[in-house]
Amino acid sequence: MPPRIAFPTRRIFHRTPAALLCAVLGVAASAQGAGATALAGANAGAVAAKAPDQTLTFERDIRPLFKHHCVHCHGEGEKLKGGLDMRLRRFLVEPHGDGGDVAIVAGKPAESQMLRLVREGEMPPKGKKLTSEEVGLLERWIAQGAPTARPEPAEVPKVYITEEEREFWVFQPIRKVTLPLAERAGELPNPVDRFVVRELERRNLSLNPEASRSVLLRRVTLDLTGLPPSAEEIAAFEADTAPDAYTRLVERLLASPHYGERWGRHWLDLAGYSDSDGYSEADPLRAWAFQYRDYVIRSLNADKPLDRFIQEQLAGDEMVPLPHKNLGPDAVDKLAATGFLRMVPDGTAGVASAEQVTARNAVVGETLKVVSTTLLGLSVGCAQCHDHKHDPIAQRDYYQMRAIFEPGFDTVNWRVPANRLVSLMSDAERAASEAVEAEAKVIDARRKAREEELIELVLGWELAKRPEDLREPLRAAYRMPVKERKPEQVKLLKEHPTVNQLSPGSLYLYDTTYKTKHADELKAIAEEAAAVRKRKPQEQFVAVFNEAPASVKTPPKTAVFHRGDPKNPKDVVGPAELTVLASFQKGEFGAAPAGADPAARASLHRRLDYARHLTSGQHPLLTRVLVNRVWAHHFGRGIVGTPSDFGRMGDRPSHPELLDWLANALVEKGWSLKEMHRLLVNSNVYKQTSTRSAEKDAADPDNLLLGRMPVRRMDAEMLRDSMLVASGLLNRTMFGAPIPVMKDVDGQVILGIDTNDGSGRPTGKFVSLEGGEFRRSVYVQMRRTRPLGMLETFDFPKMEPNCEGRAASTVAPQSLALMNSEFALSQATAFADRLRAECGSDAAAVVRRAWKLAFAADPAEEEVKKGVEFLQKQTATLKAAEASGTKLLRPVMRQPTGPSAVKPEPSTPEHAALATFCQALMSANAFLYID
Amino acid sequence: MNRNGCYTRRHFLAQSGFGLSSLGALWLLQQEKLLGKPVDLVPQHFDTLPKVPPFQPRARAMISMFMQGGPSQIDLFDPKPELDKRNGQKFTGEIKFDDAANASTKLMASPWRFKKHGQSGIEVSELLPYFSQIVDDVTLIRGMQTGVSNHDQSINAMQTGGILGGRPTAGSWLTYALGSESQELPAYVALTDPRGLPVRGVGNWSQGWLPSLYQGTAVRSAEPRMANLDPAPHLRGAAQSQYLDFLGELNRAHLARHPAESDLEARISSYALAGRLQVAAKEALDIRGESEATRKMYGVDDPESGEFATRCLIARRLIERGVRFVQLFTGNQTWDHHKGIFKGLPSACKYVDRGAAALVMDLKERGLLDSTVVHWGGEMGRLPVIEYDGGRDVVGRDHNTYGFSMWLAGGGFKAGVVHGETDEFGHRAVKDIVTHHDYHATLLHLFGFDHAKLTFQRNGSAMALTDNKEARVVSEILT
Repeated sequence: MPPRIAFPTRRIFHRTPAALLCAVLGVAASAQGAGATALAGANAGAVAAKAPDQTLTFERDIRPLFKHHCVHCHGEGEKLKGGLDMRLRRFLVEPHGDGGDVAIVAGKPAESQMLRLVREGEMPPKGKKLTSEEVGLLERWIAQGAPTARPEPAEVPKVYITEEEREFWVFQPIRKVTLPLAERAGELPNPVDRFVVRELERRNLSLNPEASRSVLLRRVTLDLTGLPPSAEEIAAFEADTAPDAYTRLVERLLASPHYGERWGRHWLDLAGYSDSDGYSEADPLRAWAFQYRDYVIRSLNADKPLDRFIQEQLAGDEMVPLPHKNLGPDAVDKLAATGFLRMVPDGTAGVASAEQVTARNAVVGETLKVVSTTLLGLSVGCAQCHDHKHDPIAQRDYYQMRAIFEPGFDTVNWRVPANRLVSLMSDAERAASEAVEAEAKVIDARRKAREEELIELVLGWELAKRPEDLREPLRAAYRMPVKERKPEQVKLLKEHPTVNQLSPGSLYLYDTTYKTKHADELKAIAEEAAAVRKRKPQEQFVAVFNEAPASVKTPPKTAVFHRGDPKNPKDVVGPAELTVLASFQKGEFGAAPAGADPAARASLHRRLDYARHLTSGQHPLLTRVLVNRVWAHHFGRGIVGTPSDFGRMGDRPSHPELLDWLANALVEKGWSLKEMHRLLVNSNVYKQTSTRSAEKDAADPDNLLLGRMPVRRMDAEMLRDSMLVASGLLNRTMFGAPIPVMKDVDGQVILGIDTNDGSGRPTGKFVSLEGGEFRRSVYVQMRRTRPLGMLETFDFPKMEPNCEGRAASTVAPQSLALMNSEFALSQATAFADRLRAECGSDAAAVVRRAWKLAFAADPAEEEVKKGVEFLQKQTATLKAAEASGTKLLRPVMRQPTGPSAVKPEPSTPEHAALATFCQALMSANAFLYID
Repeated sequence: MNRNGCYTRRHFLAQSGFGLSSLGALWLLQQEKLLGKPVDLVPQHFDTLPKVPPFQPRARAMISMFMQGGPSQIDLFDPKPELDKRNGQKFTGEIKFDDAANASTKLMASPWRFKKHGQSGIEVSELLPYFSQIVDDVTLIRGMQTGVSNHDQSINAMQTGGILGGRPTAGSWLTYALGSESQELPAYVALTDPRGLPVRGVGNWSQGWLPSLYQGTAVRSAEPRMANLDPAPHLRGAAQSQYLDFLGELNRAHLARHPAESDLEARISSYALAGRLQVAAKEALDIRGESEATRKMYGVDDPESGEFATRCLIARRLIERGVRFVQLFTGNQTWDHHKGIFKGLPSACKYVDRGAAALVMDLKERGLLDSTVVHWGGEMGRLPVIEYDGGRDVVGRDHNTYGFSMWLAGGGFKAGVVHGETDEFGHRAVKDIVTHHDYHATLLHLFGFDHAKLTFQRNGSAMALTDNKEARVVSEILT
């Protein structure tokens, strides 16, 4: 068998004009990266140059062209444009339309009208024309007699999938793969190595040598925990000279609570984790989203088997018996897990009723997008408006998938986010809370009564300013209910606006006039009530995706929306797997068990059935998609380079057998993610150096064969967290409500509690975060409209609705942030404090220690010398600056009320110089990149 | 990785200064959509590189002086003889008070004299002696109307086109549509008043739901003037160069250990670019190089008006260097004269009048006025009736969003014309009313866009500055 290495198609985004957002993948670009040509391989999707004598078939060669360019008008719609249906070959040779034309004449390209129309660019009338290669292909097929591969079906099925489409690799069962290079099992005990080495050796390449211990320590620690090794971890690893020191290091890291924070964050990207609802300008906070974040972190730390992890996220509510009250920790976990289906933007609480249909369907559509890209690795969302142009996913399939989730959404009996919260308060706590509330209500009543008195008082003063004869009529008019006022009373009041507009809401305005403090007095009573209410047991909630009893009793119907328009429903469909995968589905989703009373069900079980089907171990996509993502996070690129698109427009696997072997291994090892890490990070592939060589770059420029480890830039969170580790300020507290963000006086998003007034003006108040500002980035509030500046600068993604892969840009604002931001300066100063405390004033010792903390490595003697020289020079420069009047101040993290809220403390030339040294280390490529 | 969703633009982007965020779609895409062409796009990303508008533009830059609080049109721009006559009488028409507790229905004539100025003979209050000298260069709109309650909503209307907070400002829209002619300076600059932020605070230069690349960059009056762009005071100069030299050494040694890693080289050059950006910003904000005549014209050394005038001069320098949109702010409620208008209004006028007029004269002298829109105005005007009826030291005027004045100059606006009228009391706009939507449509028109077609796709809808509301280009005031 020849090597099956295939090559990435370059993805080109294309947006349809449909109101519903749908990113469809365009055709493959003709210009491939020059490097890719070095390795021969089929370029999927594009019209590959086929040998001129090869027999073409409609199904394999022509139908994909038509699906992309023609079938939208000629086949899919209710009406056929010009009466021509292009879904089957035989329709092309039959007369169509009023004129009775035929589209093609088999064997006679010159007489085929369609060929002329596409060649002259008349068809398709809009959009991309066929390329000359595509036209040539069509011509040759017609000349060959327009053959089909087999007899065509008598009728076009509702979802028509050809055998050629079914044969596409991702829809094939996962193969049992024998390990290659059996004869070298002793030399290459790790199965991963055997697959990779075989492919390298086929091209006369080999792995790079093993990286140094310090490189490995930093690489694997960052990779598994998202944090660089601490001073203690470095010391422990250096002291451990046993041959299996690395393996045991991996075990320590997998056991670290920080592991779940790092790998949980990868999963949160896919889920589109956000602490706000998005959609509207207000972007309201989603106060309980963190319960889902914590569930993910806890689950990964516990190495919860991935099948259960996924089942809980799709159907945790269906695993907990009703009623969902007085819940134990396991039940809470399962309910919190469904937060996966509650992460997309949801503006339904705020939009007008006219926009509700759009807003609700956006929630459903975005959720399906999250589910399908995360779990299936297919852009199922593209079939929302029309059949997928490249993959065998019919529009009907999309709605069958929607039907699985429909009862939980129920767009008719919609529940806004606040109505999807489940209280974690027990009955006993609730009783206690109600008693406190009763107490507070008494104070509320007192406030109301006092307010009445004050209004009467002010009214009296206002009236006293009027002529005596007006007072009684004015009072009578004022006291008359608005609707019952006589016209003359209305007129009278209008002439006396200060009487007319006196109300509880405007009472505070009269304080200026009468030099009173009524507003303060009322506020004090309100605060009294609030203080009492504070004694209530804190009520916690989880945002749950579940099915309301009414939606279970009368399940909402799912219809295929014509052109994706929810206002134009057509055929009603039931819940089912994609047609192309139908053979993997055992039984109907949500079928009532035999003999069970359907009316007594707590939920429709569609999701639970679907989740079990996905995690059966037989599903051809789920495990491949999961292991590919794990691979991509460890090696910088997936075995399939497009982790969220395994379809025709995505990449083909670089190591297809390895992918299947890993998918099987995941199931065999009990769906343990940590086992997968053990396998991958203990491989020679993972442990090799990242050094490039001209030879490998020429043979494999994109490193698809993994003849070296890639050099990777830290992502945003890793960078911020690593700076906190180096400075020693990292607060390792886990879980709970997120650390709030706010806009500072310049409009930059910083960590802080917003004390601005209602009009966005600083009040001068400052509320401390009490060390929360130094917690890991995964605990920072992820407000859609307010990404933390430091994270956003380094490509923290916008969750719209989720992020399937991070970018790693290299732009000047990143350099500016590292050079000048208060975060960088204050971290550098804290780093300097730490060095001073640990090493005193011995410059060489300070440099050595700094080096180790920043890079987990020892500096060369030359580097120590240069570091010491820099410190001396910088100290002299700052001394001179101080002598000429410049104040040396310790930087302070910006405060919500402006830089003056906390007075900066003085620094010394020596300390400020050391801080710039630390800053240089933390902004160096050796820090930013992982070797 | 980086091949899906959020793209890498590594090497080439290191060359472009403020290119940041990496998601989303260019408006050009929207244009093509409207033509019904399915567009194959390279991965979407946003940048601030200069772009060509669909129509021939009249303007290429804008300076807006935002007079937050609501300057009294009756006392500055809109003389009302009838009001003078009926001073002290009762006003009987419909009126909406925002501060009812201190309201009255007693009419108050303007205590300041109006005089005709220039060839156009536009009448201006004695409170604006410098503005009086440039009337022949401006379009004075006397029939502005937002018709919404209170500062917050009306500021949102004027600045962002909608009354709720959280939408992108006009400046964000312009930079989203046109990018900037400078990649070394921010495309959109907010020059804040050292005395404090206006109402709505940083929302006045927020990009709302547009990519954050289009947020205005706040420039403070005191150092460090731009967050992340100015070194800490003690690191300025030699200390930072030494830091950068040392960092460069570290990075070159690292690169030597990783030959051919082009990302590492790109990162090294991004520090060089960052350094150039710092220099460019410092140079643009430094007015020491301006001639004595220019400094005099602005009056940068005047204790009462020098601060604002300096910012006007900086605005000109920024525009000259290719910045697309600059907005100057006055501090919190500078113009909100509910009370004490006899003292408060003259002092607010003094603060801004000289600099604002000098800016127009200066732009004109330099041949920049034709291509630069200059705007002066607030979010509302004031009522013709007295608020706080307690004598000369106390009286003021309540809010009025139904009829107020503002002026525009350059960039395709007519010179020396008055547009629109309020009623005989200066209360409601009654003729040639210009709404905030009309104003925005007109601005976009001058920059070469159809306001309805310059959109951003969000939640499945095409969002526009004019909020999909009725809006007309006020062609009567354009040349």
